[in-house]
Amino acid sequence: MSELALIIEDDEDLANIFSEALRSGGFEVEHIADGRLAQERLKNGNAPFIVLLDMHLPYISGADLLAIIKGDEKFSKTMILITTADALMGKMYNDQVDFVLVKPISFVQLRDLTRRLKSQP
Amino acid sequence: MLKTIRNYFVLKNDPDEMRRREIVRILTLGLSILAMVGFVLVATYLLSNPVARQKLDNQLAVATAFFTSLLSFGIYQLNKRTSRISPFLLLALLVVLSIFGDTPAELANGRSLFIFTFPVAISSLIIAPASSFFFATVNTIIIFLLARQGNVPPNLSAIVGFFLLALISWVSSRALERALRDLRAINANLDQQVIERTQALSQSLERERIEAGRNKAILNSIGDGVIVFDKTWNATMVNPAVKSMLDIPLDLILNKNFYEFIEHPRLTAQSRKLLSAMIQNDTQPLGFRIEWGEKTLSVGAAQVHDSRGENIGTVTVFRDFTREAEVERLKSTFVAIVSHELRTPLNSILGYAEMFKESVYGPMTDKQINMAEGIMKNTDRLLNLIRDLLDEAQMEAGQLSITNAPLKPAELLETLHRLLDKAASDKRLRLTSEIDDDLPETLSGDADRLQQILTNLANNAIKFTDHGEICVRLRRTDDAKWGIEVEDTGRGIPEAEIPFIFETFRQVEGSTTRVHGGVGLGLAIVKQLVNLMSGDVKVESRVGVGTKFTVTLPLTVP
Repeated sequence: MSELALIIEDDEDLANIFSEALRSGGFEVEHIADGRLAQERLKNGNAPFIVLLDMHLPYISGADLLAIIKGDEKFSKTMILITTADALMGKMYNDQVDFVLVKPISFVQLRDLTRRLKSQP
Repeated sequence: MLKTIRNYFVLKNDPDEMRRREIVRILTLGLSILAMVGFVLVATYLLSNPVARQKLDNQLAVATAFFTSLLSFGIYQLNKRTSRISPFLLLALLVVLSIFGDTPAELANGRSLFIFTFPVAISSLIIAPASSFFFATVNTIIIFLLARQGNVPPNLSAIVGFFLLALISWVSSRALERALRDLRAINANLDQQVIERTQALSQSLERERIEAGRNKAILNSIGDGVIVFDKTWNATMVNPAVKSMLDIPLDLILNKNFYEFIEHPRLTAQSRKLLSAMIQNDTQPLGFRIEWGEKTLSVGAAQVHDSRGENIGTVTVFRDFTREAEVERLKSTFVAIVSHELRTPLNSILGYAEMFKESVYGPMTDKQINMAEGIMKNTDRLLNLIRDLLDEAQMEAGQLSITNAPLKPAELLETLHRLLDKAASDKRLRLTSEIDDDLPETLSGDADRLQQILTNLANNAIKFTDHGEICVRLRRTDDAKWGIEVEDTGRGIPEAEIPFIFETFRQVEGSTTRVHGGVGLGLAIVKQLVNLMSGDVKVESRVGVGTKFTVTLPLTVP
């Protein structure tokens, strides 16, 4: 059975690439391109196995969404991966999330990483 | 000025002569008065005593007293005009008086012998020290003549006594004159010193006045605001630029304590904190920026020390930095936006190319895979360039900071191989790495930035090496240091170019940029990162043999 990966990324091309990498990693992928919609989804929807969260989003920032995820018990088992172009910002979140991916993010690396995560017991 | 001093010291009259003239003056006046008193007394006595009046001796005595007084006064008057002959005349008068003062017998060998001592003793004081001998001789001749006239033998022991007295007079007068001469020399020297000191003082006061005037003119004309504080932070001087910069009356600052100024509502809380820190900080504060209403001001402060090194106050300089701050803000915003906006599509290009290469949507031919790799390689180059430009901009703005976290040196090398093995093998170069056994397995440092230093140096070496190898070593230099060595067998750097290789946008020879790619930021970034890590980077190179870069860093373990 395939696990759910939630991609929150406003750039359509990057979202395509990340989706394909995660699909290759063995996940079922759900993509949301907008901060507000993502907020709705996180509040009302079920907890995915992985959240791949872009920190630079329109309307609602990645930091706010991260706070929702961290504050909700249902996401306690969800793996959190954030993406950012700012290495310094990435360092700030190092302790709060499972992985910080600094752009540019390689298709192969993301695929291999998520594959490893899925196969972990 | 010097001429005046000389004139002052070249005396018109010889001081010895003045002294002698003074003695002659006293003696002649004294003698004149004494003789006049004698004359009056004797004359009164004779007038009242007709018997005594008949005696020739008495008549002679009254006449002698009268003429002596008259002659003495005459010499006294002459002495006022010239002292050339007055001493001689005085002495001659004394000698004559001596001769006629008593009977020849009494004079030559009796009660009046003593009066011959006067000319001997006085002459060395009023003519010259040695003249006492002359008068001793004159006395001797007179005594012999008088002795013959009085039919008595001359008193030889008295004559010897005169010469003895002449000797004593000569010695003491000479000693006196010498002592006076020395004293005068000392006085003259002292006077000279006083004049020189006075002159130096007035010159230095003048200089100070000129200097103060010049400083004031400078302070009034410069655009920077300058406030001078004393030791207790009371403002003792404020230049006009402060008024126009802060747009407040100067009396709000001048003669007020700086703590009052800090409370001004136009200062932001952060600016207040910085200014308070400046006041409390005993060490020399560095420059910083404050917000004053709409303006940004840069503040520099320097303590003023007196000659003993004691702090006597602080000079603060304010510069209107509003425009520069705005430009800086725009620049960093621009760089951040551009780098983000460039990176996102490049990330997509890279991702799609990888998907081609990985045959995500069906099998690809070798040529197609090659093309995908080409796209990836060039995208990487663009991404690296953007990263370098962003780093450079951040470092220039002082925004780039170094973090400290545990890192494994071996992992730095692993990543280096993963990133650059292909670039090296594409040029048929060997990329090898070594790690010292005594380098701790875990160090404290900024892994990303160390990786960047390592990658930039190795990438540079690959770029400028056509055959041979690139060797990367991580070394334990000593107890407190470790380092990175990147050595290649490349073409080397001409010696004249070595001082410039760490400059921004610099590559050796203009043409190499096109041949080797890059904009010449790699080494400049290495240098700045190493500096931020309190380290040091050196280069040794021989044209045609190779180049070795050595980075030395402080060793800290978590």
